[in-house]
Amino acid sequence: MNDDRPLVDPVVMQRALEHRLTRRRLLRNTGVGVAGFSLASLIAACGEDGGGGGGGGNGATSPADVFTGEAGDTLNFSNWPAYMDQAKDKDGNVYHPSLRVFEQRTGIKVNYQDEINDNAEFFGKIQPLLAAGDDPGRDLIVITNGRYFTTLTQNGWVYELDPALRPNFDQHAASWAKDPFYDPGNKYGMAWQSGITGIGVNTKLVKGSITKMDDLANPDKVGTGSVGMLEGDMPDWVMINLGIDPVTSGPTEWKEAADWLRQQQESGTVRAYYGNDYLPDLQEGNLTASMAWSGDVLYSNVWLGLDVEYVFPEGGALLWIDNMLVPAGAKNPVGAAQIMDFYYKPDIATMLTEWILYMSPVPETRELIEEDARKNFEQGYKGYANKLEATAKSPFLYPDEEFLSRTSFGFEEWTDESAEEWDSIFLPISQG
Amino acid sequence: MSGVDGGFEQEDSGPPALQGTLGARRRLVPYYLLSPGGLFLLLFFLLPLGLMLYTSLESGGLLSGGFRFTWAFNNYADVLGQYQVQFVRSLVYSIVVTVAALLLAYPMTYWIAFYGGRWKSSFLLLILMPFFVSFVIRTLQWKFILGDNGPILGPLKGIGMLPDGFRVLATPLAVIAGITYNFLPFTALPLYVALERIDKRLIEAAKDLYSSRWQAFRRVVWPLSLPGVFAAFLLTFVPATGDYVNASLLGGPGTTMIGNIIQEKFLVELDYPEAAALSVILMVAMLLLATVYARILGTEDVQRAAGAGA
Repeated sequence: MNDDRPLVDPVVMQRALEHRLTRRRLLRNTGVGVAGFSLASLIAACGEDGGGGGGGGNGATSPADVFTGEAGDTLNFSNWPAYMDQAKDKDGNVYHPSLRVFEQRTGIKVNYQDEINDNAEFFGKIQPLLAAGDDPGRDLIVITNGRYFTTLTQNGWVYELDPALRPNFDQHAASWAKDPFYDPGNKYGMAWQSGITGIGVNTKLVKGSITKMDDLANPDKVGTGSVGMLEGDMPDWVMINLGIDPVTSGPTEWKEAADWLRQQQESGTVRAYYGNDYLPDLQEGNLTASMAWSGDVLYSNVWLGLDVEYVFPEGGALLWIDNMLVPAGAKNPVGAAQIMDFYYKPDIATMLTEWILYMSPVPETRELIEEDARKNFEQGYKGYANKLEATAKSPFLYPDEEFLSRTSFGFEEWTDESAEEWDSIFLPISQG
Repeated sequence: MSGVDGGFEQEDSGPPALQGTLGARRRLVPYYLLSPGGLFLLLFFLLPLGLMLYTSLESGGLLSGGFRFTWAFNNYADVLGQYQVQFVRSLVYSIVVTVAALLLAYPMTYWIAFYGGRWKSSFLLLILMPFFVSFVIRTLQWKFILGDNGPILGPLKGIGMLPDGFRVLATPLAVIAGITYNFLPFTALPLYVALERIDKRLIEAAKDLYSSRWQAFRRVVWPLSLPGVFAAFLLTFVPATGDYVNASLLGGPGTTMIGNIIQEKFLVELDYPEAAALSVILMVAMLLLATVYARILGTEDVQRAAGAGA
């Protein structure tokens, strides 16, 4: 065909790039970064909306401004899988009882999505929207303390909460959930649940007893190619078990942990480095032992009756807190504030804990679960009563001070430099 | 092309003025026809490609406010130095996969093309069947089937044919087998198209000229099917090299492919510039390899192969 009609119009292309450049410059000035190449940010740039809300990047919006007025009709709540109580109605449809109570009491329809499988991955999904100041499409998200929590709060990509809107939290929250070190005064987040990273053991497949981290590098006990490691948690977890406090650690300590991980790799025990999907492999017997999250293993054991046991390693374990956050630009922040506080009502928190078996930020749930156990026992549901009793007694749900003193939080001083150094030390191990 | 236009104009018997506008309109027709596809490519291929190149030259970090364009060519040097192993591994896996897929698909499609009779399209549909199930679900099923104590290995271990510690999952074999299975239809379809086109009478002719079955295959069928082999190779090799689903679901430590690294850079490390640089390198490497490959086979074959692949 005629050569003077190119398919790509260089002028259009040039203009598109210029728009993007202008917007980038604009965002830089307000302290909000654009990262990556997202079509969303490009379209936003072409729309010349001049930042339209700008992702709340400069922190000029005060909580009182955001959390005013009536709640919206619908609430988009994004959470992790198996992190909400479930039941089946008469027609066999699965529903979430506690959410139904919330809907009945407030008239707000909750659009609940268990779409968060990994902090990094989910962050990567919403980050372009937040950076562009677009509607993030979610009113409430649940993010673990650490790197992505810090990134969200430091960039102003989540709203500051209004302390006046959480009476239940003030009254019922556990001491560890109030004023956590990574979020002074609960400025941005409120704990959803907390958990411990320990070892999940398939009691049928291991030889001898698994009590400490070094057992995961011992082929005589766990076999070869049959240990699961959690990619995100393992640096902190290994440091803790080597007697290092991750919170105050630096590159020297990180390298020590990396050395242990390499030794483990050379021992041949490792099967895979998991993001989060280790549980099916542990349940199906592809793994003899695995780094594991407390609730996952307890659930498999108590409710599914599988031969898996949760082991708290001698050297200690990693403690983490998942936090509810309201992403900047959310359409229904008032509704989000209501549901956050709603889950701090002891009876509601109990519905949750009885099902998911993680550490509740509401200590009163323990007595309520025991009460439920008694009621069920009296009504003749002995099996169910025993399971509830086991739940209330579990040190992994209701740890005492001594138990908690053997846990530690992970490294928290996240900057671009530390993140890069961290990645350059640990990622080559899992990316072999 | 202008010759064709001239031909039309001679047949046109309308008044001269009308003739002129019709001619202009007619000349524009190909562009009208091209514009939806062209626009699509512009929006969803060239623009993202430009942005990817742009991103690959950025530096900075998310915690300090984002990435900035700084002509950071060192991104390329960094990732090349760091991820050579995974690049080479991906190429090796992909070559093994492509050869395995060709060995599996050739006899299968040969049989369908020459002996399939009226069931030809049904057999083809069977080959395509797995495509009706999501890629990830299919791969997850493999994980179940090949499980250490799954339906295959479990009984074999039970009767003592395999040692207790034996496993297929988390080995290179599992990854290669998974990719081969997933991309087999990409290999089979172009092969089938090429084989189906071959005039069966040519084989009879060869036999009339005293060739053996093997000679007829080697001197007649094989050369005529080469364009299909070429297309099948490209259609399998290129996507297989960038695959990351199989390695992440079926692999273990030491089976990481370059696709996994890119995915991880994008979604876990959130290091967009390095991820983009890796993508550019992978793309350029694939283009280079495909060009060299096309040169060796000759341009004529490439055109025929393109026809067969379409």
